Amino acid sequence: MSNKNRYFLKARIFDGFNILFILMVATVVLIKPSQNQLLDLKFNSSLALLFFLVGIFLSSVLSQKGFLTWGNLIFKSSSEKPPQPISWYKTLWGWQALIILTLSIVVGLVMTNFSFYEILNREGIDGALRLLTGIFNPDWSILPRAVNHMIETLFMAFIATVLAIPFAFVLSFFSARNVMESRVGFLVYLSLRTFFNIARSIEAIIWAIIFSVWVGIGPFAGMLALMIHSIASLAKQYSEMVESVSMGPVEGIKSTGAAPFQVVWFGIVPQIILPYISITIYRWDINVRMATIIGLVGGGGIGTLLIQYQGQAMWPQVGCLVVVIAVVVCLLDQVSAHIREAVK
Amino acid sequence: MSETILSIKNLSKTYDNGTQALADISFDVKKGEFLVVIGLSGSGKSTLLRCLNRLLDPTSGQIFFHGKNIENTKGRAVFSVRKKIGMIFQQFNLVPRYSVLTNVLTGKLAGMGVLKSFFSLFSVEDKSQALDYLKLVGIHEKAYLRADQLSGGQQQRVAIARALAQKPEVLLADEPVASLDPATCHVVMDYLRKVNQELGITIICNLHFLSLVREYATRVIALKDGKLVFEGSPDQITEDWFQKIYGEGAREIHVQ
Ligand SMILES: Nc1ncnc2c1ncn2[C@@H]1O[C@H](COP(=O)(O)OP(=O)(O)O)[C@@H](O)[C@H]1O
Ligand SMILES: [Mg+2]
Repeated sequence: MSNKNRYFLKARIFDGFNILFILMVATVVLIKPSQNQLLDLKFNSSLALLFFLVGIFLSSVLSQKGFLTWGNLIFKSSSEKPPQPISWYKTLWGWQALIILTLSIVVGLVMTNFSFYEILNREGIDGALRLLTGIFNPDWSILPRAVNHMIETLFMAFIATVLAIPFAFVLSFFSARNVMESRVGFLVYLSLRTFFNIARSIEAIIWAIIFSVWVGIGPFAGMLALMIHSIASLAKQYSEMVESVSMGPVEGIKSTGAAPFQVVWFGIVPQIILPYISITIYRWDINVRMATIIGLVGGGGIGTLLIQYQGQAMWPQVGCLVVVIAVVVCLLDQVSAHIREAVK
Repeated sequence: MSETILSIKNLSKTYDNGTQALADISFDVKKGEFLVVIGLSGSGKSTLLRCLNRLLDPTSGQIFFHGKNIENTKGRAVFSVRKKIGMIFQQFNLVPRYSVLTNVLTGKLAGMGVLKSFFSLFSVEDKSQALDYLKLVGIHEKAYLRADQLSGGQQQRVAIARALAQKPEVLLADEPVASLDPATCHVVMDYLRKVNQELGITIICNLHFLSLVREYATRVIALKDGKLVFEGSPDQITEDWFQKIYGEGAREIHVQ
């Protein structure tokens, strides 16, 4: 497919979704469907497909007639001449963008049940005030427990990061385009990248749920969850570093008759070692924060304690935990920023 | 000066994107020569050198090294070809964060075991050889500096020392002085000549300036659009040939 055709197709698909959205909203507003009708997936998706095709048709006709749709504007090929500078309200794409954006915001507000009445509701405010009063008067008697659990969380994040490093390090070279040059290499690269993307798109909290069933509730499950997520994230970031190295030194080492392992070890690794350290420390930082959350679903550490107190509405105890978490996260943030600055 | 060390027969190279960089090139290289390759930018000089040490895979043709075809070698054999045919580059291609000495020692990697290279366990002998080569190019005092703290000319001399550490029989030089100023230019070229004359290493060198060609080359070939258009001694490049190689109206620039 030529480039021009590809851009044309992308623009049509974009406009198609635009029109699909507008028509769907219009249908819902006009028909006011019942709950049952909303759950009829088969009918609704056929309708959506129909609207989408209508959209593509409309957009093709309009752009054939010389109108510049929003899709055309976004996905224009670089070879095309830029559009004439005219006021946006005299253009089709301007109105299209305005309608889509406004409609999105309105639909969003309706969907989230946005309500001033609920925000200003007397009873609700009283409840929130009780909670906040509790949190702002922390019960310091549980501080030792809180600290112990925080230490558990810190080490959970630390071990998860440390165990992820060797896996991510080795995998990063197999998932870098400039290392995997051969045809077979390209397949390895592609499958690894896909695997990382899938593993990363599954949030650590989901991994924690899986592992808490597998190995039982506790810090081990949380650690495994963070490790899997860290391997995928680090490997992706590492391999992007590998792809950005300058290839001159690599060629230099290659020309000495060095084997592939030696080319990587002497030509690439010295170029990426500092960014690697920086990325890894940042990952530990992220893992500490995630470890707190993971505790909420049975991953151990301070999160587990938090969910216990929260379930019993013990707000002063929750307050103490919140303070401990905030202090540690802040400190760690500072420390990691300093280290990253130092290794630059 | 008579034994043929490299014999190139009908060598062609077409890149994956369809660019034909070399078209049916044949020539011989005699042992101990200082052969210079000239031609416009894009005429295929770099491609030619990279095919000779198998950094690139030629599309067709043969390359005989001591009478043995190295065009179709695969796997580990390619590494030993590269070891015997060293190379230096326009951008020096040193590892910037490593010391000068470590950079030279990477010339000893060919055939070294995985564990030894992992822990950088170079032998004492390797190290003293590396220092000797640094001495040969007059830069041993900088052995423990980081490579990126050196000037361009000094880096190119380190690159020569790295190539020498391979104990090569042929040294390929891809525009070794193109990123250097004219004064440094001659220093580097003089060391190449020293390597050629004192160590007897055959040199194939891409050059831009004809004045350098006349000063250093023992023989010249010229490429144009990937074809071999001239083969002879430096003083045979007359005004006519010059116009033919570089195109009508080209003017010579001198480096003193
Ligand atoms: N990696 C590559 N992929 C595709 N084409 C290339 C590549 N390297 C060089 N070429 C093309 O091959 C031709 C010869 O290039 P090169 O050997 O670098 O010439 P020179 O060194 O004489 O300037 C040029 O047309 C160049 O654009
Ligand atoms: Mg070149």
